[in-house]
Amino acid sequence: MTTYHLRVNGRDHAVDTDPDTPLLYVLRNDLGLNGAKFGCGLGQCGACTVTLAGESVMSCLVPVSVVGNRPVGTVEGLGTTRAPGVLQQAFIAEQAAQCGYCIAGMMMRAQSLLAQNPKPSDAEIRKHMMPNLCRCGTHMRILRAVRRAADALPARGTKT
Amino acid sequence: MNRAARPRTPRRPTRRILLALAIVVLLAAWAIMWRPAIDAQTSVPSFDPATIERGQRLAAVGTCAACHTVDVSRPYAGGRALDTPFGTVYSTNITPDARTGIGQWSEAAFTRALREGVSRDGHLLYPAFPYDHYTQLAQDDIRAMYAYFMTRPALEAPAHDNDMTFPFGFRPLVAFWNILYLKREPWKPDAARSAEWNRGAYLSVALAHCTACHTPRTKLGGTDFSRHLDGGEAEGWYVPALNAHNPSPVFWTQEHLAEYLRTGIAPDHAVAGGPMQATVENLRLADPKDVDAIATYIHSYLAEAPLRETPAGKPGSLPGSLPAPAAADPDLARMQAGYAVYANSCARCHEVGREASSGAALQLQKAVALYDPDPRSLIHIVRDGIAPPDGEPARWMPAFGSILTDEQTGALAAYLRRYGAGQPQWEHIEDAVKKARQP
Repeated sequence: MTTYHLRVNGRDHAVDTDPDTPLLYVLRNDLGLNGAKFGCGLGQCGACTVTLAGESVMSCLVPVSVVGNRPVGTVEGLGTTRAPGVLQQAFIAEQAAQCGYCIAGMMMRAQSLLAQNPKPSDAEIRKHMMPNLCRCGTHMRILRAVRRAADALPARGTKT
Repeated sequence: MNRAARPRTPRRPTRRILLALAIVVLLAAWAIMWRPAIDAQTSVPSFDPATIERGQRLAAVGTCAACHTVDVSRPYAGGRALDTPFGTVYSTNITPDARTGIGQWSEAAFTRALREGVSRDGHLLYPAFPYDHYTQLAQDDIRAMYAYFMTRPALEAPAHDNDMTFPFGFRPLVAFWNILYLKREPWKPDAARSAEWNRGAYLSVALAHCTACHTPRTKLGGTDFSRHLDGGEAEGWYVPALNAHNPSPVFWTQEHLAEYLRTGIAPDHAVAGGPMQATVENLRLADPKDVDAIATYIHSYLAEAPLRETPAGKPGSLPGSLPAPAAADPDLARMQAGYAVYANSCARCHEVGREASSGAALQLQKAVALYDPDPRSLIHIVRDGIAPPDGEPARWMPAFGSILTDEQTGALAAYLRRYGAGQPQWEHIEDAVKKARQP
Protein backbone atom coordinates (compact mmCIF):
# COMPACT_ATOMS: atom_id res chain seq x y z
CA MET A 1 0.00 0.00 0.00
CA THR A 2 1.22 3.46 -0.90
CA THR A 3 -0.36 6.86 -0.41
CA TYR A 4 -1.18 8.65 -3.66
CA HIS A 5 -2.13 12.30 -3.88
CA LEU A 6 -4.62 12.94 -6.65
CA ARG A 7 -6.16 16.15 -7.93
CA VAL A 8 -9.65 15.32 -9.21
CA ASN A 9 -12.07 17.98 -10.51
CA GLY A 10 -9.95 20.63 -8.81
CA ARG A 11 -9.95 18.96 -5.37
CA ASP A 12 -7.01 17.22 -3.69
CA HIS A 13 -7.38 13.70 -2.34
CA ALA A 14 -5.06 11.25 -0.58
CA VAL A 15 -5.66 7.57 -1.25
CA ASP A 16 -3.95 4.51 0.22
CA THR A 17 -3.84 1.73 -2.35
CA ASP A 18 -1.68 -0.58 -4.42
CA PRO A 19 0.31 0.91 -7.31
CA ASP A 20 -1.44 -1.16 -9.96
CA THR A 21 -4.95 -0.21 -8.84
CA PRO A 22 -6.77 1.23 -11.85
CA LEU A 23 -7.69 4.90 -11.54
CA LEU A 24 -11.30 3.84 -12.23
CA TYR A 25 -11.43 1.81 -9.00
CA VAL A 26 -9.92 4.66 -7.01
CA LEU A 27 -12.46 7.13 -8.40
CA ARG A 28 -15.43 4.88 -7.75
CA ASN A 29 -14.47 3.01 -4.57
CA ASP A 30 -12.26 5.44 -2.69
CA LEU A 31 -13.55 8.83 -3.84
CA GLY A 32 -17.20 7.91 -4.41
CA LEU A 33 -17.22 9.39 -7.91
CA ASN A 34 -19.44 6.86 -9.67
CA GLY A 35 -19.88 8.71 -12.97
CA ALA A 36 -17.16 6.74 -14.77
CA LYS A 37 -18.42 3.17 -15.36
CA PHE A 38 -16.74 -0.21 -15.49
CA GLY A 39 -17.56 -1.63 -18.91
CA CYS A 40 -15.05 -4.10 -20.29
CA GLY A 41 -12.06 -3.43 -18.06
CA LEU A 42 -9.80 -3.79 -21.12
CA GLY A 43 -9.89 -0.30 -22.61
CA GLN A 44 -12.11 -1.37 -25.47
CA CYS A 45 -15.46 0.32 -24.71
CA GLY A 46 -14.82 3.77 -23.25
CA ALA A 47 -17.45 3.69 -20.44
CA CYS A 48 -14.68 4.59 -17.96
CA THR A 49 -13.33 7.58 -19.93
CA VAL A 50 -12.05 10.49 -17.84
CA THR A 51 -9.61 13.27 -18.62
CA LEU A 52 -5.97 13.18 -17.53
CA ALA A 53 -4.09 16.45 -18.02
CA GLY A 54 -6.88 17.43 -20.43
CA GLU A 55 -6.61 14.33 -22.64
CA SER A 56 -9.24 11.61 -22.53
CA VAL A 57 -8.06 8.27 -21.20
CA MET A 58 -9.79 5.03 -20.33
CA SER A 59 -9.39 5.01 -16.57
CA CYS A 60 -9.52 1.19 -16.31
CA LEU A 61 -6.12 1.17 -18.08
CA VAL A 62 -4.51 3.86 -15.91
CA PRO A 63 -2.65 2.46 -12.89
CA VAL A 64 -2.98 5.01 -10.11
CA SER A 65 0.81 5.08 -9.82
CA VAL A 66 1.32 6.78 -13.21
CA VAL A 67 -1.06 9.70 -12.55
CA GLY A 68 1.42 11.80 -10.53
CA ASN A 69 0.41 15.45 -10.27
CA ARG A 70 -1.57 15.49 -13.52
CA PRO A 71 -5.14 16.72 -12.95
CA VAL A 72 -8.00 14.24 -13.40
CA GLY A 73 -11.44 15.29 -14.67
CA THR A 74 -14.64 13.26 -14.35
CA VAL A 75 -18.23 13.85 -15.41
CA GLU A 76 -19.00 15.12 -11.91
CA GLY A 77 -16.75 18.08 -12.70
CA LEU A 78 -18.84 19.18 -15.68
CA GLY A 79 -21.83 20.35 -13.65
CA THR A 80 -24.55 19.30 -11.24
CA THR A 81 -28.15 18.14 -11.60
CA ARG A 82 -29.28 21.65 -10.74
CA ALA A 83 -26.70 23.41 -12.87
CA PRO A 84 -25.67 21.08 -15.71
CA GLY A 85 -22.69 22.14 -17.82
CA VAL A 86 -22.87 22.98 -21.53
CA LEU A 87 -22.13 19.37 -22.58
CA GLN A 88 -24.62 17.94 -20.10
CA GLN A 89 -27.32 20.39 -21.28
CA ALA A 90 -26.65 19.39 -24.88
CA PHE A 91 -26.92 15.65 -24.08
CA ILE A 92 -30.23 16.29 -22.27
CA ALA A 93 -31.55 18.44 -25.11
CA GLU A 94 -30.76 15.76 -27.67
CA GLN A 95 -32.01 12.99 -25.34
CA ALA A 96 -28.75 11.24 -26.20
CA ALA A 97 -28.94 8.63 -23.45
CA GLN A 98 -30.90 5.42 -23.76
CA CYS A 99 -29.64 3.15 -20.96
CA GLY A 100 -27.03 5.80 -20.18
CA TYR A 101 -24.18 3.50 -19.21
CA CYS A 102 -21.77 4.93 -21.80
CA ILE A 103 -22.81 8.57 -21.46
CA ALA A 104 -20.41 9.74 -18.75
CA GLY A 105 -17.54 8.38 -20.83
CA MET A 106 -18.97 9.94 -23.98
CA MET A 107 -19.18 13.34 -22.34
CA MET A 108 -15.61 13.16 -21.05
CA ARG A 109 -14.34 12.05 -24.46
CA ALA A 110 -16.18 15.05 -25.99
CA GLN A 111 -14.89 17.35 -23.25
CA SER A 112 -11.25 16.70 -24.22
CA LEU A 113 -12.09 17.53 -27.84
CA LEU A 114 -13.90 20.79 -27.08
CA ALA A 115 -11.16 21.89 -24.68
CA GLN A 116 -8.60 21.66 -27.48
CA ASN A 117 -10.80 22.47 -30.47
CA PRO A 118 -13.92 24.46 -29.52
CA LYS A 119 -15.21 24.51 -33.09
CA PRO A 120 -14.68 20.98 -34.47
CA SER A 121 -16.06 19.86 -37.81
CA ASP A 122 -18.54 16.98 -37.88
CA ALA A 123 -15.76 14.75 -39.25
CA GLU A 124 -13.46 15.76 -36.39
CA ILE A 125 -16.20 14.93 -33.86
CA ARG A 126 -16.75 11.50 -35.41
CA LYS A 127 -13.04 10.71 -35.48
CA HIS A 128 -12.50 11.86 -31.91
CA MET A 129 -15.50 9.95 -30.51
CA MET A 130 -14.58 6.72 -32.33
CA PRO A 131 -13.06 4.79 -29.37
CA ASN A 132 -16.26 5.07 -27.28
CA LEU A 133 -19.05 2.56 -27.88
CA CYS A 134 -22.79 2.68 -27.16
CA ARG A 135 -24.50 -0.69 -27.10
CA CYS A 136 -27.97 0.90 -27.38
CA GLY A 137 -26.96 2.54 -30.65
CA THR A 138 -27.60 6.19 -29.82
CA HIS A 139 -24.41 7.28 -31.57
CA MET A 140 -26.26 9.62 -33.92
CA ARG A 141 -27.87 11.48 -31.00
CA ILE A 142 -24.53 11.56 -29.18
CA LEU A 143 -22.86 13.13 -32.23
CA ARG A 144 -25.69 15.70 -32.42
CA ALA A 145 -25.26 16.47 -28.72
CA VAL A 146 -21.52 17.11 -29.15
CA ARG A 147 -22.30 19.30 -32.16
CA ARG A 148 -24.88 21.22 -30.11
CA ALA A 149 -22.41 21.74 -27.25
CA ALA A 150 -19.74 22.96 -29.67
CA ASP A 151 -22.19 25.42 -31.26
CA ALA A 152 -23.24 26.67 -27.82
CA LEU A 153 -19.68 27.41 -26.78
CA PRO A 154 -17.98 30.69 -27.53
CA ALA A 155 -15.10 30.30 -30.01
CA ARG A 156 -12.61 30.81 -27.16
CA GLY A 157 -13.03 30.00 -23.53
CA THR A 158 -13.88 26.37 -23.11
CA LYS A 159 -15.51 26.17 -19.71
CA THR A 160 -18.05 23.43 -20.14
CA MET B 1 53.32 45.30 -75.49
CA ASN B 2 50.66 47.88 -74.76
CA ARG B 3 47.65 46.42 -72.93
CA ALA B 4 45.17 48.58 -74.74
CA ALA B 5 46.56 47.46 -78.02
CA ARG B 6 45.92 43.80 -77.31
CA PRO B 7 43.40 42.59 -79.80
CA ARG B 8 40.06 41.73 -78.11
CA THR B 9 38.76 39.46 -80.79
CA PRO B 10 40.15 36.16 -79.37
CA ARG B 11 37.82 36.49 -76.38
CA ARG B 12 34.68 36.42 -78.42
CA PRO B 13 34.92 32.79 -79.53
CA THR B 14 35.34 31.76 -75.85
CA ARG B 15 32.12 33.56 -75.00
CA ARG B 16 30.38 32.04 -77.96
CA ILE B 17 31.52 28.59 -76.95
CA LEU B 18 30.27 29.18 -73.39
CA LEU B 19 26.96 30.47 -74.70
CA ALA B 20 26.63 27.50 -77.05
CA LEU B 21 27.53 25.15 -74.19
CA ALA B 22 24.89 26.76 -71.97
CA ILE B 23 22.31 26.33 -74.70
CA VAL B 24 23.31 22.70 -75.19
CA VAL B 25 23.10 22.06 -71.44
CA LEU B 26 19.70 23.74 -71.24
CA LEU B 27 18.47 21.80 -74.26
CA ALA B 28 19.79 18.57 -72.79
CA ALA B 29 18.18 19.34 -69.43
CA TRP B 30 14.95 20.18 -71.18
CA ALA B 31 15.14 16.94 -73.15
CA ILE B 32 15.72 15.03 -69.92
CA MET B 33 12.94 16.78 -68.03
CA TRP B 34 10.25 17.30 -70.65
CA ARG B 35 7.70 14.62 -71.41
CA PRO B 36 4.83 14.95 -73.85
CA ALA B 37 1.19 14.61 -72.86
CA ILE B 38 -0.61 11.48 -73.99
CA ASP B 39 -3.98 12.17 -75.64
CA ALA B 40 -6.98 12.00 -73.37
CA GLN B 41 -9.31 9.11 -74.04
CA THR B 42 -12.94 10.14 -74.32
CA SER B 43 -14.46 6.89 -73.13
CA VAL B 44 -13.33 4.10 -70.83
CA PRO B 45 -12.86 0.80 -72.68
CA SER B 46 -14.61 -2.34 -71.44
CA PHE B 47 -12.82 -5.32 -69.91
CA ASP B 48 -13.62 -8.97 -69.29
CA PRO B 49 -14.41 -9.93 -65.68
CA ALA B 50 -11.50 -12.40 -65.41
CA THR B 51 -8.98 -9.63 -66.22
CA ILE B 52 -10.60 -7.28 -63.73
CA GLU B 53 -10.45 -9.89 -61.00
CA ARG B 54 -6.81 -10.66 -61.74
CA GLY B 55 -6.11 -6.93 -61.57
CA GLN B 56 -7.83 -6.73 -58.21
CA ARG B 57 -5.63 -9.50 -56.79
CA LEU B 58 -2.50 -7.85 -58.19
CA ALA B 59 -3.50 -4.41 -56.87
CA ALA B 60 -3.76 -6.05 -53.44
CA VAL B 61 -0.18 -7.35 -53.75
CA GLY B 62 0.87 -3.86 -54.88
CA THR B 63 -0.82 -2.48 -51.70
CA CYS B 64 -2.17 0.38 -53.82
CA ALA B 65 -4.95 1.05 -51.31
CA ALA B 66 -2.44 1.61 -48.50
CA CYS B 67 -1.66 5.02 -49.98
CA HIS B 68 -4.54 5.71 -52.38
CA THR B 69 -7.42 4.96 -49.99
CA VAL B 70 -7.88 7.20 -46.97
CA ASP B 71 -11.59 6.68 -46.32
CA VAL B 72 -12.77 3.10 -46.91
CA SER B 73 -16.11 4.43 -48.16
CA ARG B 74 -14.21 6.24 -50.94
CA PRO B 75 -11.74 3.65 -52.26
CA TYR B 76 -8.78 4.89 -54.33
CA ALA B 77 -9.83 8.57 -54.09
CA GLY B 78 -6.36 9.47 -52.73
CA GLY B 79 -5.46 12.28 -50.35
CA ARG B 80 -3.12 10.45 -48.00
CA ALA B 81 -0.20 12.59 -46.80
CA LEU B 82 3.23 10.97 -47.01
CA ASP B 83 6.04 12.70 -45.16
CA THR B 84 9.35 12.43 -46.97
CA PRO B 85 12.69 14.13 -46.31
CA PHE B 86 11.86 16.33 -49.31
CA GLY B 87 8.41 17.48 -48.23
CA THR B 88 4.89 16.13 -47.89
CA VAL B 89 3.42 14.36 -50.90
CA TYR B 90 -0.30 13.61 -51.17
CA SER B 91 -1.55 10.51 -52.96
CA THR B 92 -3.88 11.19 -55.86
CA ASN B 93 -7.25 9.98 -57.08
CA ILE B 94 -6.86 6.81 -59.19
CA THR B 95 -10.57 6.22 -59.76
CA PRO B 96 -11.82 6.65 -63.36
CA ASP B 97 -13.28 10.12 -62.71
CA ALA B 98 -12.54 12.07 -65.91
CA ARG B 99 -11.72 15.42 -64.33
CA THR B 100 -10.03 14.58 -61.01
CA GLY B 101 -9.08 10.90 -61.48
CA ILE B 102 -7.54 8.85 -64.27
CA GLY B 103 -10.67 8.45 -66.45
CA GLN B 104 -8.93 10.13 -69.39
CA TRP B 105 -5.88 7.88 -69.11
CA SER B 106 -5.45 5.30 -71.84
CA GLU B 107 -3.63 2.06 -71.10
CA ALA B 108 -0.56 3.68 -72.67
CA ALA B 109 -0.75 6.60 -70.24
CA PHE B 110 -1.30 4.26 -67.27
CA THR B 111 1.65 2.12 -68.39
CA ARG B 112 3.93 5.14 -68.74
CA ALA B 113 3.03 6.29 -65.21
CA LEU B 114 3.92 2.86 -63.80
CA ARG B 115 7.06 2.36 -65.86
CA GLU B 116 8.47 5.90 -66.01
CA GLY B 117 6.72 7.95 -63.33
CA VAL B 118 5.12 10.35 -65.81
CA SER B 119 1.56 11.62 -65.50
CA ARG B 120 -0.75 11.57 -68.55
CA ASP B 121 -0.29 15.32 -69.05
CA GLY B 122 3.50 14.89 -69.04
CA HIS B 123 4.41 16.14 -65.56
CA LEU B 124 6.80 14.00 -63.56
CA LEU B 125 5.44 12.10 -60.56
CA TYR B 126 7.32 12.06 -57.26
CA PRO B 127 8.95 8.70 -56.45
CA ALA B 128 6.82 8.43 -53.29
CA PHE B 129 4.81 6.61 -55.96
CA PRO B 130 7.06 3.53 -56.34
CA TYR B 131 7.37 3.51 -60.15
CA ASP B 132 11.04 2.61 -59.70
CA HIS B 133 9.60 -0.79 -58.69
CA TYR B 134 6.57 -0.97 -61.00
CA THR B 135 8.83 -0.28 -63.99
CA GLN B 136 9.65 -4.00 -64.07
CA LEU B 137 6.06 -5.23 -64.17
CA ALA B 138 4.90 -7.46 -67.01
CA GLN B 139 2.64 -5.62 -69.45
CA ASP B 140 -0.05 -8.22 -68.92
CA ASP B 141 -0.13 -7.43 -65.20
CA ILE B 142 -0.22 -3.68 -65.85
CA ARG B 143 -3.16 -4.27 -68.21
CA ALA B 144 -5.04 -6.27 -65.58
CA MET B 145 -4.57 -3.56 -62.95
CA TYR B 146 -5.63 -0.92 -65.49
CA ALA B 147 -8.81 -2.94 -66.06
CA TYR B 148 -9.41 -3.10 -62.32
CA PHE B 149 -8.95 0.60 -61.64
CA MET B 150 -10.94 1.66 -64.71
CA THR B 151 -13.93 -0.33 -63.44
CA ARG B 152 -13.97 1.17 -59.91
CA PRO B 153 -16.66 3.75 -59.05
CA ALA B 154 -15.55 7.15 -60.35
CA LEU B 155 -15.19 9.53 -57.42
CA GLU B 156 -14.61 13.24 -57.62
CA ALA B 157 -11.58 14.12 -55.50
CA PRO B 158 -9.19 16.83 -56.70
CA ALA B 159 -5.51 16.33 -55.88
CA HIS B 160 -4.29 17.93 -52.65
CA ASP B 161 -1.41 20.38 -53.20
CA ASN B 162 1.95 18.90 -52.18
CA ASP B 163 4.03 20.72 -49.62
CA MET B 164 7.62 20.29 -50.80
CA THR B 165 10.73 21.92 -49.38
CA PHE B 166 12.73 24.13 -51.79
CA PRO B 167 13.72 23.28 -54.51
CA PHE B 168 11.83 19.99 -54.76
CA GLY B 169 8.58 21.75 -55.63
CA PHE B 170 10.06 21.97 -59.15
CA ARG B 171 8.96 18.59 -60.45
CA PRO B 172 11.29 18.38 -63.49
CA LEU B 173 14.19 17.84 -61.04
CA VAL B 174 12.83 14.32 -60.57
CA ALA B 175 14.23 13.58 -64.06
CA PHE B 176 17.74 13.64 -62.60
CA TRP B 177 16.69 11.34 -59.75
CA ASN B 178 15.35 8.99 -62.41
CA ILE B 179 18.75 8.87 -64.12
CA LEU B 180 20.26 7.62 -60.85
CA TYR B 181 17.54 5.33 -59.53
CA LEU B 182 15.09 4.33 -62.25
CA LYS B 183 16.47 1.16 -63.83
CA ARG B 184 14.24 0.62 -66.82
CA GLU B 185 14.99 -3.04 -67.37
CA PRO B 186 12.44 -5.81 -67.83
CA TRP B 187 12.21 -8.39 -65.06
CA LYS B 188 14.84 -11.14 -65.36
CA PRO B 189 14.23 -14.41 -63.55
CA ASP B 190 17.15 -16.18 -61.88
CA ALA B 191 17.53 -19.50 -63.69
CA ALA B 192 19.30 -21.05 -60.70
CA ARG B 193 16.21 -20.60 -58.48
CA SER B 194 12.83 -22.30 -58.37
CA ALA B 195 9.75 -21.00 -60.18
CA GLU B 196 8.15 -20.26 -56.80
CA TRP B 197 11.16 -18.20 -55.70
CA ASN B 198 11.21 -16.29 -58.98
CA ARG B 199 7.48 -15.57 -58.74
CA GLY B 200 8.06 -14.29 -55.20
CA ALA B 201 11.04 -12.20 -56.27
CA TYR B 202 9.05 -10.58 -59.06
CA LEU B 203 6.08 -9.84 -56.77
CA SER B 204 8.24 -8.61 -53.87
CA VAL B 205 10.44 -6.29 -55.87
CA ALA B 206 8.34 -5.14 -58.84
CA LEU B 207 4.84 -5.11 -57.33
CA ALA B 208 4.67 -5.30 -53.51
CA HIS B 209 7.77 -3.05 -53.37
CA CYS B 210 8.90 -4.60 -50.07
CA THR B 211 12.34 -3.17 -50.69
CA ALA B 212 10.96 0.39 -50.80
CA CYS B 213 10.82 0.31 -46.98
CA HIS B 214 12.93 -2.73 -46.00
CA THR B 215 16.01 -1.56 -47.93
CA PRO B 216 17.73 1.63 -46.76
CA ARG B 217 17.62 4.75 -48.90
CA THR B 218 20.45 7.02 -49.91
CA LYS B 219 20.60 10.71 -48.97
CA LEU B 220 18.86 11.43 -52.28
CA GLY B 221 15.98 9.17 -51.34
CA GLY B 222 16.82 6.37 -53.77
CA THR B 223 17.11 2.69 -52.99
CA ASP B 224 20.59 1.79 -51.74
CA PHE B 225 20.99 -1.20 -54.06
CA SER B 226 24.15 -2.33 -52.25
CA ARG B 227 22.17 -3.07 -49.06
CA HIS B 228 19.29 -5.27 -50.22
CA LEU B 229 16.68 -5.78 -47.43
CA ASP B 230 19.06 -4.34 -44.82
CA GLY B 231 16.30 -2.41 -43.00
CA GLY B 232 14.95 1.10 -43.47
CA GLU B 233 12.29 3.38 -42.16
CA ALA B 234 8.70 4.34 -42.90
CA GLU B 235 6.45 6.94 -41.30
CA GLY B 236 8.73 7.30 -38.30
CA TRP B 237 8.98 3.53 -37.68
CA TYR B 238 12.11 1.42 -37.93
CA VAL B 239 11.50 -1.12 -40.69
CA PRO B 240 13.31 -4.36 -39.87
CA ALA B 241 16.09 -5.78 -41.97
CA LEU B 242 14.97 -9.02 -43.64
CA ASN B 243 18.46 -10.41 -44.20
CA ALA B 244 21.20 -11.59 -41.84
CA HIS B 245 20.64 -8.40 -39.80
CA ASN B 246 17.01 -9.22 -38.99
CA PRO B 247 16.55 -8.29 -35.32
CA SER B 248 13.90 -10.91 -34.42
CA PRO B 249 14.84 -12.87 -31.30
CA VAL B 250 12.69 -15.77 -32.52
CA PHE B 251 13.76 -17.47 -35.75
CA TRP B 252 11.38 -16.86 -38.63
CA THR B 253 10.26 -20.06 -40.29
CA GLN B 254 8.84 -19.75 -43.78
CA GLU B 255 5.45 -20.95 -42.50
CA HIS B 256 5.43 -18.25 -39.80
CA LEU B 257 6.31 -15.61 -42.34
CA ALA B 258 3.59 -16.70 -44.77
CA GLU B 259 0.99 -16.68 -41.98
CA TYR B 260 2.18 -13.27 -40.81
CA LEU B 261 1.85 -11.85 -44.32
CA ARG B 262 -1.62 -13.30 -44.79
CA THR B 263 -3.08 -12.46 -41.36
CA GLY B 264 -0.80 -9.94 -39.67
CA ILE B 265 -0.11 -12.42 -36.88
CA ALA B 266 2.64 -14.99 -36.43
CA PRO B 267 1.46 -16.78 -33.28
CA ASP B 268 3.74 -16.35 -30.26
CA HIS B 269 6.11 -14.31 -32.41
CA ALA B 270 4.88 -11.10 -34.03
CA VAL B 271 1.88 -8.86 -34.69
CA ALA B 272 1.94 -6.42 -37.61
CA GLY B 273 1.85 -2.77 -36.52
CA GLY B 274 2.43 0.62 -38.07
CA PRO B 275 2.90 0.78 -41.84
CA MET B 276 3.12 -3.03 -42.04
CA GLN B 277 -0.44 -3.33 -40.77
CA ALA B 278 -1.76 -1.61 -43.91
CA THR B 279 0.41 -3.93 -45.97
CA VAL B 280 -1.04 -7.13 -44.49
CA GLU B 281 -4.56 -5.70 -44.74
CA ASN B 282 -3.95 -5.54 -48.48
CA LEU B 283 -2.11 -8.85 -48.77
CA ARG B 284 -4.97 -10.85 -47.30
CA LEU B 285 -7.00 -9.86 -50.39
CA ALA B 286 -4.26 -11.16 -52.69
CA ASP B 287 -4.02 -14.63 -54.20
CA PRO B 288 -2.75 -16.75 -51.25
CA LYS B 289 -0.37 -18.54 -53.61
CA ASP B 290 1.24 -15.21 -54.48
CA VAL B 291 1.65 -14.38 -50.78
CA ASP B 292 3.28 -17.79 -50.25
CA ALA B 293 5.65 -17.02 -53.12
CA ILE B 294 6.58 -13.70 -51.48
CA ALA B 295 7.28 -15.60 -48.25
CA THR B 296 9.49 -18.04 -50.17
CA TYR B 297 11.54 -15.21 -51.66
CA ILE B 298 11.85 -13.10 -48.50
CA HIS B 299 12.62 -16.15 -46.38
CA SER B 300 15.57 -17.03 -48.58
CA TYR B 301 17.22 -13.86 -47.16
CA LEU B 302 15.66 -14.03 -43.70
CA ALA B 303 17.05 -17.54 -43.20
CA GLU B 304 20.54 -15.99 -43.07
CA ALA B 305 19.71 -14.41 -39.70
CA PRO B 306 21.55 -16.17 -36.86
CA LEU B 307 19.71 -18.29 -34.31
CA ARG B 308 19.41 -16.27 -31.13
CA GLU B 309 18.63 -17.13 -27.55
CA THR B 310 16.07 -14.87 -25.89
CA PRO B 311 16.00 -14.20 -22.16
CA ALA B 312 12.62 -16.00 -22.21
CA GLY B 313 14.28 -19.20 -23.27
CA LYS B 314 16.82 -19.26 -20.44
CA PRO B 315 16.40 -22.12 -18.02
CA GLY B 316 14.63 -21.20 -14.79
CA SER B 317 12.93 -18.09 -16.16
CA LEU B 318 9.16 -17.90 -15.83
CA PRO B 319 7.29 -17.58 -19.09
CA GLY B 320 6.98 -13.91 -19.84
CA SER B 321 7.91 -12.54 -16.43
CA LEU B 322 10.38 -9.70 -16.38
CA PRO B 323 12.58 -9.03 -13.34
CA ALA B 324 12.79 -5.96 -11.12
CA PRO B 325 15.94 -3.96 -11.84
CA ALA B 326 19.09 -5.09 -10.11
CA ALA B 327 20.11 -2.96 -7.09
CA ALA B 328 23.51 -2.39 -8.71
CA ASP B 329 22.05 -1.08 -11.98
CA PRO B 330 23.96 2.08 -12.92
CA ASP B 331 20.73 3.62 -14.26
CA LEU B 332 18.63 2.47 -11.30
CA ALA B 333 16.19 5.40 -10.98
CA ARG B 334 15.13 5.23 -14.64
CA MET B 335 14.98 1.43 -14.59
CA GLN B 336 12.76 1.46 -11.50
CA ALA B 337 10.46 4.03 -13.10
CA GLY B 338 10.29 1.87 -16.22
CA TYR B 339 9.69 -1.29 -14.22
CA ALA B 340 6.85 0.42 -12.30
CA VAL B 341 5.13 1.27 -15.59
CA TYR B 342 5.74 -2.24 -16.92
CA ALA B 343 4.50 -4.00 -13.77
CA ASN B 344 1.41 -1.83 -13.36
CA SER B 345 0.39 -1.37 -17.01
CA CYS B 346 1.97 -3.90 -19.37
CA ALA B 347 2.24 -7.00 -17.19
CA ARG B 348 -1.53 -7.20 -16.90
CA CYS B 349 -1.72 -8.64 -20.40
CA HIS B 350 1.88 -9.50 -21.25
CA GLU B 351 2.66 -11.67 -18.21
CA VAL B 352 1.07 -15.03 -17.53
CA GLY B 353 -0.96 -15.47 -14.35
CA ARG B 354 -1.70 -11.88 -13.38
CA GLU B 355 -5.36 -11.61 -14.35
CA ALA B 356 -7.96 -13.33 -16.48
CA SER B 357 -6.58 -11.58 -19.55
CA SER B 358 -2.96 -12.25 -18.63
CA GLY B 359 -0.74 -14.01 -21.09
CA ALA B 360 -3.05 -13.39 -24.03
CA ALA B 361 -0.58 -10.87 -25.39
CA LEU B 362 2.87 -11.60 -26.76
CA GLN B 363 5.61 -12.22 -24.19
CA LEU B 364 7.75 -9.13 -24.40
CA GLN B 365 11.04 -11.05 -24.45
CA LYS B 366 9.91 -12.27 -27.88
CA ALA B 367 8.75 -8.86 -29.16
CA VAL B 368 10.88 -7.84 -32.15
CA ALA B 369 10.54 -4.12 -31.33
CA LEU B 370 12.71 -4.60 -28.20
CA TYR B 371 15.58 -5.85 -30.39
CA ASP B 372 15.43 -3.14 -33.08
CA PRO B 373 18.53 -0.96 -33.50
CA ASP B 374 16.51 2.06 -32.30
CA PRO B 375 13.42 2.52 -30.07
CA ARG B 376 11.11 4.20 -32.61
CA SER B 377 8.81 1.27 -33.33
CA LEU B 378 8.48 0.29 -29.66
CA ILE B 379 7.56 3.86 -28.72
CA HIS B 380 4.96 4.02 -31.50
CA ILE B 381 3.37 0.76 -30.35
CA VAL B 382 3.25 1.91 -26.71
CA ARG B 383 1.81 5.30 -27.68
CA ASP B 384 -0.65 4.30 -30.41
CA GLY B 385 -1.42 0.68 -29.53
CA ILE B 386 -2.48 -1.72 -32.23
CA ALA B 387 -6.00 -1.44 -33.60
CA PRO B 388 -7.53 -3.91 -36.04
CA PRO B 389 -8.96 -2.55 -39.29
CA ASP B 390 -12.61 -1.43 -39.18
CA GLY B 391 -14.98 -4.29 -38.60
CA GLU B 392 -12.24 -6.94 -38.47
CA PRO B 393 -11.36 -9.15 -35.54
CA ALA B 394 -7.63 -9.02 -34.96
CA ARG B 395 -5.01 -8.51 -32.31
CA TRP B 396 -5.59 -5.37 -30.32
CA MET B 397 -3.62 -3.33 -27.83
CA PRO B 398 -4.79 -0.13 -26.17
CA ALA B 399 -2.95 3.14 -26.83
CA PHE B 400 -0.99 4.49 -23.88
CA GLY B 401 -0.04 7.84 -25.45
CA SER B 402 -2.40 9.84 -23.24
CA ILE B 403 -1.91 7.66 -20.18
CA LEU B 404 1.89 7.78 -19.83
CA THR B 405 4.01 10.91 -19.64
CA ASP B 406 6.96 11.21 -22.03
CA GLU B 407 9.26 10.49 -19.11
CA GLN B 408 7.35 7.31 -18.21
CA THR B 409 7.33 6.14 -21.85
CA GLY B 410 11.09 6.72 -22.15
CA ALA B 411 11.82 4.90 -18.89
CA LEU B 412 9.62 2.00 -19.99
CA ALA B 413 11.48 1.70 -23.30
CA ALA B 414 14.84 1.77 -21.52
CA TYR B 415 13.70 -0.84 -18.97
CA LEU B 416 12.28 -3.18 -21.64
CA ARG B 417 15.45 -2.89 -23.69
CA ARG B 418 17.66 -3.90 -20.78
CA TYR B 419 15.50 -6.36 -18.82
CA GLY B 420 13.20 -7.59 -21.59
CA ALA B 421 15.72 -8.02 -24.38
CA GLY B 422 19.00 -7.92 -22.47
CA GLN B 423 20.45 -5.72 -25.21
CA PRO B 424 22.86 -2.74 -24.99
CA GLN B 425 20.90 0.41 -24.14
CA TRP B 426 19.46 2.58 -26.94
CA GLU B 427 20.69 6.13 -27.25
CA HIS B 428 18.44 9.18 -27.57
CA ILE B 429 15.28 7.47 -26.27
CA GLU B 430 13.91 10.78 -24.98
CA ASP B 431 14.31 12.41 -28.43
CA ALA B 432 12.48 9.52 -30.05
CA VAL B 433 9.61 9.86 -27.54
CA LYS B 434 9.34 13.59 -28.27
CA LYS B 435 9.36 12.99 -32.03
CA ALA B 436 6.65 10.34 -31.78
CA ARG B 437 4.40 12.85 -30.02
CA GLN B 438 4.49 15.27 -32.95
CA PRO B 439 1.38 14.87 -35.08
